[in-house]
Amino acid sequence: METMDSILAGVALALTWQSILAVLAGIVAGQLLGAIPGLTATMTVALLIPYTYYLDPWVGIPMLVGMFKGSLFGSSVTAILVKTPGTPAAAATVLDGYPMAQQGKGEKACKMALYSSVFGDSFSDIVLIFGASFLAAIALKFGPAEYTLLVAFSLLTMGFVSGAKIWKGLFAMLLGMLLGIVGLDPVTASPRLTLGFLELEEGIGLIPMLIGFLAVAEVMRQMELPRKHLATSTVSFSDDPADRRVSWLEFKGVLPTLLKSSSLGTAVGALPGISATVAAFLAYNEAKRSSKNPEKYGKGELNGIAAPESANNAVSGANLIPLMAFGIPGDIAAALILSALLIQGITPGPVVFRDNPEPIYAIFTALLLANFFNLILGHGLIKMARRVVTVPKRILFPVVLVIAAASAYAMRGSIFDVQLVFLFGLLGWGLTKLAFPTVPLLIGFILMPILESNLRVSMLIAGSVPNPFAYFLGRPAFVTLLVVMFLLLVLVMRRILRDREAARAAGLRSGG
Amino acid sequence: MIKHLVKGALALALTAGLAHADEYPSESITLIVPYSPGGNGDITSRFIADKASDIMGVNFVVENRAGGGAFIGINSCANADPDGYTICFISTSPITVRPHVIEAPYDPMTDLTYLGQFMLSKQPVIVRDDGKFNSIDDVIAFAKENPGQLRWSAAVPRGGPHLATEAMFRAEDAVTTFLPSKGGAVELANLLSGTIDLAVISDYGPALDNGEIKILAETSPGRNPQAPDAPTLSELGYPLELASFFALAAPAGLSEEVIATWDDTMKQITDSEEFKTLMDRIKGQGAYLNSADFTARVRADFEAMGEATQTYGLAN
Repeated sequence: METMDSILAGVALALTWQSILAVLAGIVAGQLLGAIPGLTATMTVALLIPYTYYLDPWVGIPMLVGMFKGSLFGSSVTAILVKTPGTPAAAATVLDGYPMAQQGKGEKACKMALYSSVFGDSFSDIVLIFGASFLAAIALKFGPAEYTLLVAFSLLTMGFVSGAKIWKGLFAMLLGMLLGIVGLDPVTASPRLTLGFLELEEGIGLIPMLIGFLAVAEVMRQMELPRKHLATSTVSFSDDPADRRVSWLEFKGVLPTLLKSSSLGTAVGALPGISATVAAFLAYNEAKRSSKNPEKYGKGELNGIAAPESANNAVSGANLIPLMAFGIPGDIAAALILSALLIQGITPGPVVFRDNPEPIYAIFTALLLANFFNLILGHGLIKMARRVVTVPKRILFPVVLVIAAASAYAMRGSIFDVQLVFLFGLLGWGLTKLAFPTVPLLIGFILMPILESNLRVSMLIAGSVPNPFAYFLGRPAFVTLLVVMFLLLVLVMRRILRDREAARAAGLRSGG
Repeated sequence: MIKHLVKGALALALTAGLAHADEYPSESITLIVPYSPGGNGDITSRFIADKASDIMGVNFVVENRAGGGAFIGINSCANADPDGYTICFISTSPITVRPHVIEAPYDPMTDLTYLGQFMLSKQPVIVRDDGKFNSIDDVIAFAKENPGQLRWSAAVPRGGPHLATEAMFRAEDAVTTFLPSKGGAVELANLLSGTIDLAVISDYGPALDNGEIKILAETSPGRNPQAPDAPTLSELGYPLELASFFALAAPAGLSEEVIATWDDTMKQITDSEEFKTLMDRIKGQGAYLNSADFTARVRADFEAMGEATQTYGLAN
């Protein structure tokens, strides 16, 4: 009864008209700003913070929540329509979203992204509400050794399922990993592969790399096409109603992917320090690995949108799990919510659930409310974007180049980053020309720093315990992961062998 | 209409000319933040720029010039004209600490004028509240009995708190394993999960209130208000203790007049109620020092750090 009272009090706190308006405003701002490359939600919120001192927390927190959720969806719209992810988290959405848009199914792709985002959000919010303390306790069992296993395994399966020739996939992945280790050595702090540039000491920036590799490379590819082609509109939209919406049957078809990717995103979000970008790529990789038709990925597969979109949104809700359970913010969004709570004298953690749970329930309400508004307002954004991208290519693509340069500059006021954008544009264009797959390169680049620092920390730990084998094999999470991965690896190998067998049989038949 | 515009432009040009002959400041001031947008350094800098603009009556342009662990932004400030129209935000690490362990493009002792300090943060040594360690003595005893088995970390590898704690271990001839980290939140999780036994981080508030952790000592001057019983490293007789500050700097050779204007402005800003709210929000301690006092602190810390680097081989 008492619990019920505090739940109701919390819900009431979040359902005043000011709070509802704040969520709405946050969603609108988030969706629009998210769609602008280089302006991540975190950055926008950071710039706005000095102006929000006087806001009531029950206006401020719902607005923050709305902004973060809105921006994750907004950034996918540009990823799908113009191959330019608004934030790094949407980079994986480009892979199947852009091909769909090129086939005239841009609206369908955007809607799929919207439904997946809202699905991922709602999934992780519900997990957060009912299982925060339980999940957080499991997440704490994940140390550097477990992170190392997870990442190494993702890279391993990636190499095999990249679709193209295996050596090309592996080459692209290794190149990505090489780019990923540029910067200061994580243990000794001495510069590596920086060629003497101070700008490279913190590593190659994710935003210049992604924007160059995806957007600028695409503009270069378009420049090669005959001139006549440039007068056509950037994205044409098919008028066939089937290409403009996601049917119930199609939604049911991607539901397994949605569930799996949302779970994956929630798990990643519960682990502090792994970003939504990583979750999106992991989910894409896993959806492709387990698909019956992996060859369809990269050519406009609905599951290829559903997976990264639901996973990256699931991360944002799940980042609150370690926050609610222990007071550990999983990412910057969670850190901002934490600071707003601390001002009110509320310290998230086990104690608050017992003593003063109303604010926690208010946050939960705001989260669910934001999902609802995101869904409604998302349709408006899609309609707007549709109008913008029907301008002719010869107008839009130069604009994309300007935005690419400006957004790289905006991150840290560095001309060096602008040069990087164009360098990666050239690299991306060249690799596509030579038919190298791009996904393994991006995944290698994003995962390498996580793999390296965790592997090296694990080695340091191994050196600090009397018996390293006993230490690692005594960790239940480590052993469980090892077993699961071994089984998955067997599955992958079996499939590769079977495919090869089938290919050989087909070859024989056509040859004979 | 055009006539009005011309008139307006003329008037503007005239007053601008007059103001220029007048005293500092008469045109817009660029504040370089050597970090990406979003961190506490960026948030506080933007706040200072906003308030200073109200007080001085000129525009401020905040420029994020990040990279190279803040070396890039501070270097561009050090190389600007010392006219008071280019200043920068600074924090401990690129001024008093890292130049001793990594080659910096500027010399912190000769290339910068230090303006006021406005904030300090506490950087305590924390452990899990599970009874394993109850004092620094317990930690040292364990480390000496089990060489290399004490695992620990700090929020910023090779930052002041890390090296002050490292100097403590080396002074005791205790061999430990330092795990490099990426940020306070991850290290707090590692501490709670037992991956490490000790951490030196500044964002520990919620975990302390929840009774999950305990503060054993403070690595910066002055005891931690949240743990008044925990001694500081120098009270314990250890060699190094570094202030963890946020402050402003300008190129070397700034005129006395400009320094005085900034002393006065920073005093007004740090006395304001809004500034106190901001400090609450980011869990900092408002701590104003004028240019002269802050310069003395920077010199003292820089020398202490240099000495400790030599004595204890902290650069390796």
